[in-house]
Amino acid sequence: MAISVEARFEPLEWPSVSPTASKDTGDEPLVKAAQGGDRAAFGQLYQRYVRMVHGILLARVPSAAAEDLVHDVFLQALPKLAALRDVSRFGPWLAAIARNRATDFHRRTKSDCSLDDQAGAAEAPQNPERGIGIEDGIALLSAVRELPDVYREPLILRFVEGMTGPEIAARTGLTHGSVRVNLHRGMHLLREKWERHAPHAEKEQGL
Amino acid sequence: MKNDYLWDGSGEPDPELQRIEKSLAQFRYRGEMPDFPVANFLPSKPSHFAFFTSGWTPRFAAATLLLLALTASGLLLRLAPVELSNTQVWDVARLSGAPRVGNFSLASDSSKAQLRVGQLMVTDNSSRASLNVAAVGEIYVDPDSRVRLVESGSNRSRLALELGTIHAAIWASPGEFVVDTPSASAVDLGCAYTLHVNEDGSGMLRTTLGWVGFHSDGHDSFIPAGAMSTTRPVQGPGTPYFEDASGQLRSALHAFDFESLSAADRQQALRVILAQARRRDAFTLWHLLFRVNDEERRLLYDRLASLVPPPAGVTREGTLALNSPMMDAWWNAFDLGDISVWRFWEQKQAPPLLKKAAR
Repeated sequence: MAISVEARFEPLEWPSVSPTASKDTGDEPLVKAAQGGDRAAFGQLYQRYVRMVHGILLARVPSAAAEDLVHDVFLQALPKLAALRDVSRFGPWLAAIARNRATDFHRRTKSDCSLDDQAGAAEAPQNPERGIGIEDGIALLSAVRELPDVYREPLILRFVEGMTGPEIAARTGLTHGSVRVNLHRGMHLLREKWERHAPHAEKEQGL
Repeated sequence: MKNDYLWDGSGEPDPELQRIEKSLAQFRYRGEMPDFPVANFLPSKPSHFAFFTSGWTPRFAAATLLLLALTASGLLLRLAPVELSNTQVWDVARLSGAPRVGNFSLASDSSKAQLRVGQLMVTDNSSRASLNVAAVGEIYVDPDSRVRLVESGSNRSRLALELGTIHAAIWASPGEFVVDTPSASAVDLGCAYTLHVNEDGSGMLRTTLGWVGFHSDGHDSFIPAGAMSTTRPVQGPGTPYFEDASGQLRSALHAFDFESLSAADRQQALRVILAQARRRDAFTLWHLLFRVNDEERRLLYDRLASLVPPPAGVTREGTLALNSPMMDAWWNAFDLGDISVWRFWEQKQAPPLLKKAAR
Protein backbone atom coordinates (compact mmCIF):
# COMPACT_ATOMS: atom_id res chain seq x y z
CA MET A 1 0.00 0.00 0.00
CA ALA A 2 1.51 3.27 -1.09
CA ILE A 3 0.63 5.05 2.12
CA SER A 4 2.50 2.72 4.40
CA VAL A 5 5.66 2.77 2.31
CA GLU A 6 5.91 6.54 2.30
CA ALA A 7 5.03 6.79 5.96
CA ARG A 8 8.05 4.68 6.89
CA PHE A 9 10.51 7.27 5.67
CA GLU A 10 10.54 10.63 7.31
CA PRO A 11 12.49 13.07 5.15
CA LEU A 12 15.57 14.55 6.69
CA GLU A 13 15.29 18.11 7.90
CA TRP A 14 13.37 19.51 4.99
CA PRO A 15 14.18 22.12 3.93
CA SER A 16 17.45 22.11 5.81
CA VAL A 17 19.46 24.91 4.37
CA SER A 18 23.05 25.29 5.37
CA PRO A 19 24.25 28.86 5.71
CA THR A 20 27.64 27.72 4.53
CA ALA A 21 26.58 25.35 1.79
CA SER A 22 26.22 28.10 -0.74
CA LYS A 23 29.39 29.99 0.14
CA ASP A 24 31.62 28.17 -2.32
CA THR A 25 29.54 28.64 -5.43
CA GLY A 26 31.56 31.61 -6.62
CA ASP A 27 28.32 33.38 -7.43
CA GLU A 28 28.90 36.46 -5.31
CA PRO A 29 30.73 38.60 -7.91
CA LEU A 30 28.16 37.68 -10.53
CA VAL A 31 25.23 38.44 -8.25
CA LYS A 32 26.71 41.78 -7.24
CA ALA A 33 27.35 42.66 -10.86
CA ALA A 34 23.84 41.61 -11.84
CA GLN A 35 22.45 43.70 -8.98
CA GLY A 36 24.22 46.62 -10.58
CA GLY A 37 22.50 45.98 -13.89
CA ASP A 38 25.16 43.85 -15.61
CA ARG A 39 23.19 41.76 -18.10
CA ALA A 40 26.13 39.51 -18.96
CA ALA A 41 26.53 38.61 -15.30
CA PHE A 42 22.87 37.75 -15.06
CA GLY A 43 23.27 35.66 -18.20
CA GLN A 44 26.03 33.67 -16.52
CA LEU A 45 23.85 33.14 -13.46
CA TYR A 46 21.09 31.98 -15.77
CA GLN A 47 23.39 29.41 -17.34
CA ARG A 48 24.49 28.19 -13.91
CA TYR A 49 21.02 27.90 -12.44
CA VAL A 50 18.68 27.14 -15.30
CA ARG A 51 18.90 23.37 -14.73
CA MET A 52 18.14 23.77 -11.04
CA VAL A 53 15.14 25.96 -11.77
CA HIS A 54 13.86 23.59 -14.44
CA GLY A 55 14.32 20.58 -12.16
CA ILE A 56 12.45 22.21 -9.29
CA LEU A 57 9.61 23.11 -11.63
CA LEU A 58 9.57 19.71 -13.32
CA ALA A 59 9.16 18.11 -9.89
CA ARG A 60 5.89 19.99 -9.52
CA VAL A 61 4.33 20.84 -12.88
CA PRO A 62 3.91 19.10 -16.29
CA SER A 63 7.06 19.15 -18.39
CA ALA A 64 5.65 21.46 -21.07
CA ALA A 65 4.66 23.98 -18.41
CA ALA A 66 8.03 23.64 -16.69
CA GLU A 67 9.78 24.79 -19.87
CA ASP A 68 7.61 27.91 -20.01
CA LEU A 69 7.86 28.68 -16.32
CA VAL A 70 11.68 28.64 -16.35
CA HIS A 71 11.68 32.04 -18.03
CA ASP A 72 8.95 33.29 -15.70
CA VAL A 73 11.07 32.45 -12.68
CA PHE A 74 14.06 34.38 -13.97
CA LEU A 75 11.86 37.27 -15.03
CA GLN A 76 10.34 37.29 -11.54
CA ALA A 77 13.75 37.13 -9.88
CA LEU A 78 15.36 39.87 -11.93
CA PRO A 79 13.59 42.92 -10.49
CA LYS A 80 13.86 41.50 -6.95
CA LEU A 81 17.56 40.81 -7.23
CA ALA A 82 18.59 44.26 -6.05
CA ALA A 83 16.86 43.57 -2.73
CA LEU A 84 18.79 40.35 -2.10
CA ARG A 85 20.92 41.23 0.91
CA ASP A 86 22.99 38.05 1.28
CA VAL A 87 24.38 37.52 -2.21
CA SER A 88 25.86 34.16 -1.22
CA ARG A 89 22.32 32.81 -0.94
CA PHE A 90 21.32 33.51 -4.52
CA GLY A 91 20.70 29.81 -5.22
CA PRO A 92 18.38 29.12 -2.26
CA TRP A 93 16.60 32.39 -2.96
CA LEU A 94 16.05 31.49 -6.62
CA ALA A 95 14.95 27.98 -5.64
CA ALA A 96 12.31 29.44 -3.33
CA ILE A 97 11.01 31.61 -6.14
CA ALA A 98 10.82 28.56 -8.43
CA ARG A 99 8.92 26.53 -5.82
CA ASN A 100 6.47 29.33 -5.23
CA ARG A 101 6.02 29.83 -8.96
CA ALA A 102 5.04 26.17 -9.25
CA THR A 103 2.57 26.58 -6.38
CA ASP A 104 1.15 29.61 -8.11
CA PHE A 105 0.82 27.64 -11.36
CA HIS A 106 -1.34 25.06 -9.61
CA ARG A 107 -3.44 27.72 -7.98
CA ARG A 108 -4.16 29.34 -11.33
CA THR A 109 -4.84 26.10 -13.19
CA LYS A 110 -6.24 24.19 -10.28
CA SER A 111 -9.10 22.16 -11.72
CA ASP A 112 -7.60 20.99 -14.97
CA CYS A 113 -3.96 20.53 -14.17
CA SER A 114 -2.19 17.28 -13.44
CA LEU A 115 1.36 16.06 -13.76
CA ASP A 116 0.34 13.75 -16.60
CA ASP A 117 2.89 14.13 -19.37
CA GLN A 118 1.26 11.70 -21.78
CA ALA A 119 0.03 14.56 -23.92
CA GLY A 120 3.55 15.77 -24.44
CA ALA A 121 4.99 12.33 -25.09
CA ALA A 122 5.13 12.77 -28.84
CA GLU A 123 7.43 15.74 -28.42
CA ALA A 124 9.86 13.93 -26.18
CA PRO A 125 12.93 12.59 -27.97
CA GLN A 126 13.70 8.89 -27.98
CA ASN A 127 17.06 7.37 -27.28
CA PRO A 128 17.56 4.97 -30.18
CA GLU A 129 20.99 3.89 -29.01
CA ARG A 130 19.77 2.15 -25.90
CA GLY A 131 16.25 1.50 -27.10
CA ILE A 132 14.78 3.31 -24.12
CA GLY A 133 11.26 4.35 -25.04
CA ILE A 134 9.37 7.49 -24.26
CA GLU A 135 6.86 5.52 -22.25
CA ASP A 136 9.55 4.24 -19.89
CA GLY A 137 10.72 7.76 -19.20
CA ILE A 138 7.18 9.03 -18.67
CA ALA A 139 6.34 6.18 -16.32
CA LEU A 140 9.55 6.75 -14.37
CA LEU A 141 8.97 10.48 -14.18
CA SER A 142 5.44 9.83 -12.94
CA ALA A 143 6.76 7.47 -10.30
CA VAL A 144 9.30 10.05 -9.12
CA ARG A 145 6.61 12.71 -8.98
CA GLU A 146 4.49 10.57 -6.70
CA LEU A 147 7.21 10.79 -4.07
CA PRO A 148 7.15 13.56 -1.44
CA ASP A 149 8.73 16.88 -2.46
CA VAL A 150 11.95 16.33 -0.55
CA TYR A 151 12.72 13.19 -2.51
CA ARG A 152 11.39 14.08 -5.93
CA GLU A 153 13.32 17.31 -6.18
CA PRO A 154 16.83 15.87 -5.64
CA LEU A 155 16.02 12.80 -7.75
CA ILE A 156 14.90 14.93 -10.67
CA LEU A 157 17.90 17.23 -10.35
CA ARG A 158 20.13 14.14 -10.27
CA PHE A 159 18.57 12.02 -13.01
CA VAL A 160 16.86 14.52 -15.29
CA GLU A 161 19.20 17.48 -15.06
CA GLY A 162 22.33 15.39 -14.58
CA MET A 163 23.53 17.30 -11.52
CA THR A 164 25.67 15.52 -8.94
CA GLY A 165 24.74 15.48 -5.25
CA PRO A 166 27.39 18.07 -4.32
CA GLU A 167 26.15 20.29 -7.14
CA ILE A 168 22.57 20.00 -5.93
CA ALA A 169 23.66 20.93 -2.42
CA ALA A 170 25.69 23.91 -3.62
CA ARG A 171 22.97 25.25 -5.91
CA THR A 172 20.01 24.80 -3.57
CA GLY A 173 21.86 25.67 -0.36
CA LEU A 174 20.91 22.35 1.26
CA THR A 175 23.49 20.51 3.32
CA HIS A 176 25.39 17.62 1.73
CA GLY A 177 23.93 15.34 4.39
CA SER A 178 20.35 16.27 3.57
CA VAL A 179 20.79 15.87 -0.16
CA ARG A 180 22.65 12.60 0.18
CA VAL A 181 20.16 11.06 2.58
CA ASN A 182 17.17 12.22 0.58
CA LEU A 183 18.70 10.93 -2.67
CA HIS A 184 19.16 7.50 -1.16
CA ARG A 185 15.84 7.37 0.63
CA GLY A 186 14.12 8.69 -2.47
CA MET A 187 15.82 6.07 -4.61
CA HIS A 188 14.73 3.38 -2.18
CA LEU A 189 11.12 4.57 -2.35
CA LEU A 190 11.31 4.82 -6.13
CA ARG A 191 12.44 1.21 -6.38
CA GLU A 192 9.58 0.06 -4.16
CA LYS A 193 7.06 2.12 -6.05
CA TRP A 194 8.35 0.92 -9.40
CA GLU A 195 8.24 -2.72 -8.34
CA ARG A 196 4.72 -2.31 -7.03
CA HIS A 197 3.22 -0.40 -9.92
CA ALA A 198 5.19 -1.65 -12.90
CA PRO A 199 6.21 -5.26 -12.35
CA HIS A 200 6.41 -5.82 -16.11
CA ALA A 201 8.55 -2.81 -16.72
CA GLU A 202 10.73 -3.93 -13.87
CA LYS A 203 11.45 -7.19 -15.60
CA GLU A 204 12.11 -5.48 -18.92
CA GLN A 205 14.36 -2.81 -17.46
CA GLY A 206 15.83 -4.74 -14.59
CA LEU A 207 14.97 -1.99 -12.10
CA MET B 1 31.42 1.83 -3.67
CA LYS B 2 28.07 1.36 -5.35
CA ASN B 3 26.22 4.07 -3.43
CA ASP B 4 28.75 6.72 -4.39
CA TYR B 5 27.51 6.63 -7.95
CA LEU B 6 24.13 7.97 -6.87
CA TRP B 7 25.80 10.73 -4.89
CA ASP B 8 28.44 12.04 -7.27
CA GLY B 9 28.77 9.61 -10.16
CA SER B 10 32.02 8.26 -8.85
CA GLY B 11 32.96 4.65 -8.16
CA GLU B 12 31.56 1.63 -9.89
CA PRO B 13 28.74 2.77 -12.20
CA ASP B 14 25.44 1.27 -11.15
CA PRO B 15 23.76 -0.09 -14.32
CA GLU B 16 20.31 0.38 -12.81
CA LEU B 17 20.96 4.03 -12.05
CA GLN B 18 22.55 4.55 -15.46
CA ARG B 19 19.39 3.18 -17.05
CA ILE B 20 17.25 5.59 -15.06
CA GLU B 21 19.55 8.46 -16.03
CA LYS B 22 19.27 7.57 -19.71
CA SER B 23 15.54 7.23 -19.46
CA LEU B 24 14.91 10.51 -17.66
CA ALA B 25 17.51 12.59 -19.50
CA GLN B 26 14.99 13.10 -22.31
CA PHE B 27 13.22 15.61 -20.04
CA ARG B 28 16.36 17.67 -19.46
CA TYR B 29 16.06 21.38 -20.10
CA ARG B 30 17.43 22.37 -23.49
CA GLY B 31 15.90 25.81 -23.97
CA GLU B 32 17.83 28.88 -24.97
CA MET B 33 18.35 31.86 -22.72
CA PRO B 34 15.76 34.51 -23.52
CA ASP B 35 16.63 38.14 -24.11
CA PHE B 36 15.59 39.64 -20.81
CA PRO B 37 14.05 43.11 -21.16
CA VAL B 38 16.33 45.92 -20.10
CA ALA B 39 13.55 47.35 -17.91
CA ASN B 40 13.72 44.27 -15.71
CA PHE B 41 17.23 45.17 -14.65
CA LEU B 42 15.96 48.22 -12.83
CA PRO B 43 15.53 47.45 -9.12
CA SER B 44 11.97 47.38 -7.89
CA LYS B 45 9.91 45.73 -5.22
CA PRO B 46 7.62 42.70 -5.48
CA SER B 47 3.96 43.52 -6.00
CA HIS B 48 2.42 40.82 -3.85
CA PHE B 49 0.39 43.36 -1.98
CA ALA B 50 -1.38 44.97 -4.89
CA PHE B 51 -4.59 43.36 -3.70
CA PHE B 52 -4.24 44.68 -0.16
CA THR B 53 -3.76 48.29 -0.97
CA SER B 54 -3.02 50.60 -3.83
CA GLY B 55 -1.12 53.74 -4.44
CA TRP B 56 1.75 52.98 -2.09
CA THR B 57 3.98 51.15 -4.55
CA PRO B 58 5.50 54.21 -6.25
CA ARG B 59 6.16 55.78 -2.87
CA PHE B 60 7.68 52.56 -1.59
CA ALA B 61 9.92 52.21 -4.64
CA ALA B 62 11.00 55.81 -4.27
CA ALA B 63 11.66 55.24 -0.59
CA THR B 64 13.76 52.19 -1.44
CA LEU B 65 15.87 54.14 -3.91
CA LEU B 66 16.24 56.86 -1.34
CA LEU B 67 17.33 54.30 1.22
CA LEU B 68 20.04 53.07 -1.16
CA ALA B 69 21.25 56.62 -1.67
CA LEU B 70 21.27 57.25 2.07
CA THR B 71 23.17 54.05 2.70
CA ALA B 72 25.80 55.03 0.14
CA SER B 73 26.32 58.41 1.75
CA GLY B 74 26.48 57.02 5.26
CA LEU B 75 23.57 59.15 6.40
CA LEU B 76 21.57 56.12 7.38
CA LEU B 77 23.80 55.63 10.38
CA ARG B 78 22.34 58.80 11.84
CA LEU B 79 18.78 57.59 11.45
CA ALA B 80 18.83 54.05 12.79
CA PRO B 81 21.24 51.38 13.90
CA VAL B 82 22.46 49.08 11.12
CA GLU B 83 22.70 45.35 11.70
CA LEU B 84 26.14 44.10 10.74
CA SER B 85 25.90 40.45 11.77
CA ASN B 86 24.95 37.54 9.51
CA THR B 87 21.54 37.31 11.13
CA GLN B 88 18.80 38.46 8.80
CA VAL B 89 17.40 41.77 9.93
CA TRP B 90 14.02 43.06 8.92
CA ASP B 91 13.90 46.41 7.19
CA VAL B 92 11.11 48.61 8.47
CA ALA B 93 9.57 51.25 6.22
CA ARG B 94 7.03 53.80 7.30
CA LEU B 95 3.84 53.83 5.24
CA SER B 96 1.92 56.40 7.31
CA GLY B 97 1.94 58.06 10.71
CA ALA B 98 4.85 57.45 13.05
CA PRO B 99 5.44 53.75 13.70
CA ARG B 100 8.01 52.99 16.39
CA VAL B 101 10.81 50.44 16.48
CA GLY B 102 11.99 50.17 20.06
CA ASN B 103 12.54 53.80 21.07
CA PHE B 104 13.07 54.94 17.51
CA SER B 105 10.18 56.71 15.79
CA LEU B 106 9.84 56.75 12.01
CA ALA B 107 8.22 60.11 11.59
CA SER B 108 9.01 61.02 7.99
CA ASP B 109 8.75 59.36 4.59
CA SER B 110 12.51 58.95 4.46
CA SER B 111 12.73 57.28 7.87
CA LYS B 112 14.01 53.74 7.85
CA ALA B 113 14.89 51.35 10.60
CA GLN B 114 15.74 47.75 11.16
CA LEU B 115 13.90 45.38 13.44
CA ARG B 116 16.25 43.14 15.34
CA VAL B 117 15.54 40.00 17.33
CA GLY B 118 13.75 40.88 20.55
CA GLN B 119 12.68 44.32 19.37
CA LEU B 120 9.08 45.47 19.24
CA MET B 121 7.47 47.48 16.46
CA VAL B 122 4.38 49.45 17.41
CA THR B 123 1.88 51.33 15.27
CA ASP B 124 -0.67 53.72 16.76
CA ASN B 125 -4.11 54.38 15.34
CA SER B 126 -2.72 56.44 12.46
CA SER B 127 0.44 54.51 11.65
CA ARG B 128 1.20 51.81 9.13
CA ALA B 129 4.53 50.20 8.29
CA SER B 130 6.07 47.43 6.24
CA LEU B 131 8.63 44.82 7.26
CA ASN B 132 10.81 43.26 4.61
CA VAL B 133 13.46 40.61 4.23
CA ALA B 134 14.46 39.84 0.66
CA ALA B 135 14.81 36.11 1.23
CA VAL B 136 11.62 35.74 3.25
CA GLY B 137 8.85 38.09 2.24
CA GLU B 138 7.00 41.24 3.14
CA ILE B 139 4.68 42.09 6.02
CA TYR B 140 2.34 45.05 6.19
CA VAL B 141 1.43 46.16 9.65
CA ASP B 142 -1.93 47.91 10.13
CA PRO B 143 -2.66 50.64 12.73
CA ASP B 144 -2.89 49.72 16.42
CA SER B 145 -0.57 46.75 16.13
CA ARG B 146 2.36 45.37 18.09
CA VAL B 147 4.84 43.05 16.34
CA ARG B 148 7.96 41.56 17.87
CA LEU B 149 10.81 39.84 16.00
CA VAL B 150 11.41 36.56 17.84
CA GLU B 151 13.83 34.75 15.52
CA SER B 152 15.53 35.59 12.25
CA GLY B 153 17.92 33.01 10.86
CA SER B 154 18.94 31.83 7.43
CA ASN B 155 16.02 29.43 7.17
CA ARG B 156 13.81 30.27 10.13
CA SER B 157 11.99 33.49 10.83
CA ARG B 158 9.51 34.06 13.62
CA LEU B 159 7.43 37.06 14.54
CA ALA B 160 5.01 37.49 17.42
CA LEU B 161 1.85 39.45 16.70
CA GLU B 162 0.79 40.62 20.14
CA LEU B 163 -2.03 42.85 18.94
CA GLY B 164 -3.51 44.17 15.72
CA THR B 165 -3.36 43.11 12.11
CA ILE B 166 -0.65 42.11 9.65
CA HIS B 167 -0.80 41.15 6.00
CA ALA B 168 1.94 38.72 4.98
CA ALA B 169 3.22 37.76 1.51
CA ILE B 170 5.90 35.12 1.91
CA TRP B 171 8.20 33.68 -0.71
CA ALA B 172 10.49 31.74 1.62
CA SER B 173 10.18 27.96 1.49
CA PRO B 174 7.10 26.53 3.20
CA GLY B 175 7.48 26.18 6.96
CA GLU B 176 10.30 28.72 7.30
CA PHE B 177 8.16 31.64 8.43
CA VAL B 178 6.00 31.52 11.56
CA VAL B 179 3.93 34.14 13.35
CA ASP B 180 3.00 33.48 16.97
CA THR B 181 -0.18 34.91 18.45
CA PRO B 182 -1.40 34.56 22.05
CA SER B 183 -3.55 31.56 21.10
CA ALA B 184 -1.99 29.93 18.01
CA SER B 185 0.93 30.07 15.59
CA ALA B 186 0.51 30.71 11.88
CA VAL B 187 2.93 28.62 9.81
CA ASP B 188 3.42 29.79 6.25
CA LEU B 189 3.10 26.98 3.72
CA GLY B 190 3.64 29.13 0.63
CA CYS B 191 1.11 31.90 0.71
CA ALA B 192 -0.27 35.32 1.46
CA TYR B 193 -2.56 35.89 4.39
CA THR B 194 -4.01 38.31 6.93
CA LEU B 195 -3.68 37.69 10.64
CA HIS B 196 -5.52 39.61 13.35
CA VAL B 197 -5.22 39.54 17.14
CA ASN B 198 -7.71 41.14 19.56
CA GLU B 199 -6.88 42.55 22.98
CA ASP B 200 -8.27 39.44 24.70
CA GLY B 201 -5.82 37.26 22.73
CA SER B 202 -8.42 35.83 20.37
CA GLY B 203 -7.76 36.17 16.67
CA MET B 204 -8.48 35.34 13.08
CA LEU B 205 -6.49 34.13 10.08
CA ARG B 206 -7.68 34.60 6.51
CA THR B 207 -5.66 33.11 3.62
CA THR B 208 -5.43 34.91 0.30
CA LEU B 209 -3.01 32.68 -1.63
CA GLY B 210 -1.68 29.18 -1.03
CA TRP B 211 -2.34 27.79 2.42
CA VAL B 212 -1.40 28.33 6.06
CA GLY B 213 -1.12 26.03 9.04
CA PHE B 214 -2.66 27.40 12.23
CA HIS B 215 -1.03 25.52 15.06
CA SER B 216 -1.58 25.17 18.78
CA ASP B 217 -0.96 22.32 21.19
CA GLY B 218 -3.36 19.57 20.21
CA HIS B 219 -5.13 21.58 17.52
CA ASP B 220 -4.00 22.18 13.96
CA SER B 221 -6.03 23.91 11.28
CA PHE B 222 -5.03 24.09 7.62
CA ILE B 223 -6.43 27.15 5.94
CA PRO B 224 -6.42 27.26 2.13
CA ALA B 225 -6.95 30.36 -0.01
CA GLY B 226 -10.45 31.73 0.46
CA ALA B 227 -10.85 30.18 3.89
CA MET B 228 -10.44 31.47 7.43
CA SER B 229 -10.25 30.32 11.00
CA THR B 230 -10.79 32.04 14.32
CA THR B 231 -8.78 31.26 17.42
CA ARG B 232 -9.29 31.64 21.16
CA PRO B 233 -6.84 31.53 24.07
CA VAL B 234 -6.68 28.07 25.63
CA GLN B 235 -9.02 26.58 23.01
CA GLY B 236 -6.72 27.33 20.08
CA PRO B 237 -7.70 27.50 16.42
CA GLY B 238 -11.28 26.70 15.52
CA THR B 239 -12.37 24.60 12.57
CA PRO B 240 -11.52 26.43 9.33
CA TYR B 241 -14.17 27.16 6.72
CA PHE B 242 -14.48 28.84 3.35
CA GLU B 243 -15.70 32.39 3.60
CA ASP B 244 -18.50 31.64 1.16
CA ALA B 245 -19.90 28.85 3.36
CA SER B 246 -23.48 29.36 4.48
CA GLY B 247 -24.17 31.53 7.51
CA GLN B 248 -25.86 28.57 9.19
CA LEU B 249 -22.77 26.42 8.81
CA ARG B 250 -20.52 29.15 10.13
CA SER B 251 -22.72 29.81 13.16
CA ALA B 252 -23.00 26.12 13.95
CA LEU B 253 -19.23 25.70 13.64
CA HIS B 254 -18.61 28.62 15.97
CA ALA B 255 -20.94 27.13 18.57
CA PHE B 256 -19.40 23.70 18.13
CA ASP B 257 -15.84 25.01 18.51
CA PHE B 258 -16.12 27.60 21.25
CA GLU B 259 -19.38 27.34 23.21
CA SER B 260 -20.28 25.03 26.06
CA LEU B 261 -23.19 23.22 24.46
CA SER B 262 -25.57 20.73 25.99
CA ALA B 263 -25.52 17.29 24.39
CA ALA B 264 -28.73 18.10 22.51
CA ASP B 265 -27.44 21.46 21.27
CA ARG B 266 -24.16 19.90 20.20
CA GLN B 267 -26.04 17.23 18.27
CA GLN B 268 -28.16 19.92 16.62
CA ALA B 269 -25.08 21.98 15.70
CA LEU B 270 -23.46 18.96 14.10
CA ARG B 271 -26.68 18.17 12.22
CA VAL B 272 -26.66 21.68 10.74
CA ILE B 273 -22.98 21.41 9.78
CA LEU B 274 -23.53 18.10 8.00
CA ALA B 275 -26.63 19.34 6.19
CA GLN B 276 -25.06 22.63 5.11
CA ALA B 277 -21.70 21.25 3.98
CA ARG B 278 -21.04 21.42 0.24
CA ARG B 279 -18.39 19.42 -1.58
CA ARG B 280 -16.10 22.42 -1.16
CA ASP B 281 -16.63 22.25 2.60
CA ALA B 282 -15.27 18.70 2.80
CA PHE B 283 -12.04 20.06 4.26
CA THR B 284 -14.04 21.53 7.15
CA LEU B 285 -15.56 18.12 7.91
CA TRP B 286 -12.08 16.57 7.68
CA HIS B 287 -10.89 18.89 10.45
CA LEU B 288 -13.92 18.08 12.58
CA LEU B 289 -13.06 14.37 12.50
CA PHE B 290 -10.26 15.13 14.95
CA ARG B 291 -12.48 17.13 17.29
CA VAL B 292 -15.48 14.89 17.92
CA ASN B 293 -16.43 11.76 19.83
CA ASP B 294 -16.72 8.32 18.23
CA GLU B 295 -20.42 8.53 17.51
CA GLU B 296 -20.10 11.98 15.94
CA ARG B 297 -17.12 10.76 13.92
CA ARG B 298 -19.19 8.03 12.29
CA LEU B 299 -21.74 10.62 11.13
CA LEU B 300 -18.96 12.86 9.86
CA TYR B 301 -17.29 10.01 8.00
CA ASP B 302 -20.48 9.15 6.13
CA ARG B 303 -21.12 12.75 5.08
CA LEU B 304 -17.48 13.38 4.15
CA ALA B 305 -17.34 10.18 2.09
CA SER B 306 -20.46 11.26 0.21
CA LEU B 307 -18.85 14.61 -0.64
CA VAL B 308 -15.31 13.43 -1.45
CA PRO B 309 -14.95 9.64 -1.66
CA PRO B 310 -11.99 8.37 0.35
CA PRO B 311 -8.99 7.66 -1.91
CA ALA B 312 -7.66 4.15 -2.44
CA GLY B 313 -6.28 2.68 0.75
CA VAL B 314 -8.36 4.85 3.06
CA THR B 315 -10.89 2.76 4.99
CA ARG B 316 -13.80 3.60 7.25
CA GLU B 317 -12.18 1.75 10.15
CA GLY B 318 -8.88 3.54 9.65
CA THR B 319 -10.55 6.92 9.47
CA LEU B 320 -12.61 6.31 12.59
CA ALA B 321 -9.35 5.39 14.34
CA LEU B 322 -7.76 8.59 12.92
CA ASN B 323 -5.05 6.58 11.19
CA SER B 324 -2.51 9.25 10.35
CA PRO B 325 -1.42 8.16 6.85
CA MET B 326 -5.05 7.65 5.86
CA MET B 327 -6.09 11.03 7.18
CA ASP B 328 -3.20 12.60 5.28
CA ALA B 329 -4.14 10.77 2.08
CA TRP B 330 -7.72 11.99 2.35
CA TRP B 331 -6.55 15.56 2.90
CA ASN B 332 -4.39 15.36 -0.20
CA ALA B 333 -7.46 14.24 -2.17
CA PHE B 334 -8.96 17.71 -1.56
CA ASP B 335 -6.14 19.21 -3.66
CA LEU B 336 -5.67 22.10 -1.27
CA GLY B 337 -1.97 21.54 -0.53
CA ASP B 338 0.33 18.59 0.04
CA ILE B 339 0.13 17.72 3.72
CA SER B 340 3.63 16.19 3.64
CA VAL B 341 4.89 19.79 3.74
CA TRP B 342 3.19 20.15 7.11
CA ARG B 343 4.55 16.84 8.39
CA PHE B 344 8.08 17.99 7.52
CA TRP B 345 7.51 21.15 9.52
CA GLU B 346 6.15 19.16 12.46
CA GLN B 347 9.20 16.93 12.37
CA LYS B 348 11.49 19.95 12.45
CA GLN B 349 9.76 21.18 15.61
CA ALA B 350 10.42 17.94 17.47
CA PRO B 351 13.26 17.94 20.04
CA PRO B 352 16.52 16.57 18.55
CA LEU B 353 16.29 13.26 20.41
CA LEU B 354 12.79 12.63 19.13
CA LYS B 355 13.87 13.48 15.60
CA LYS B 356 16.75 11.05 15.85
CA ALA B 357 14.47 8.31 17.12
CA ALA B 358 12.00 8.98 14.31
CA ARG B 359 14.67 8.29 11.73
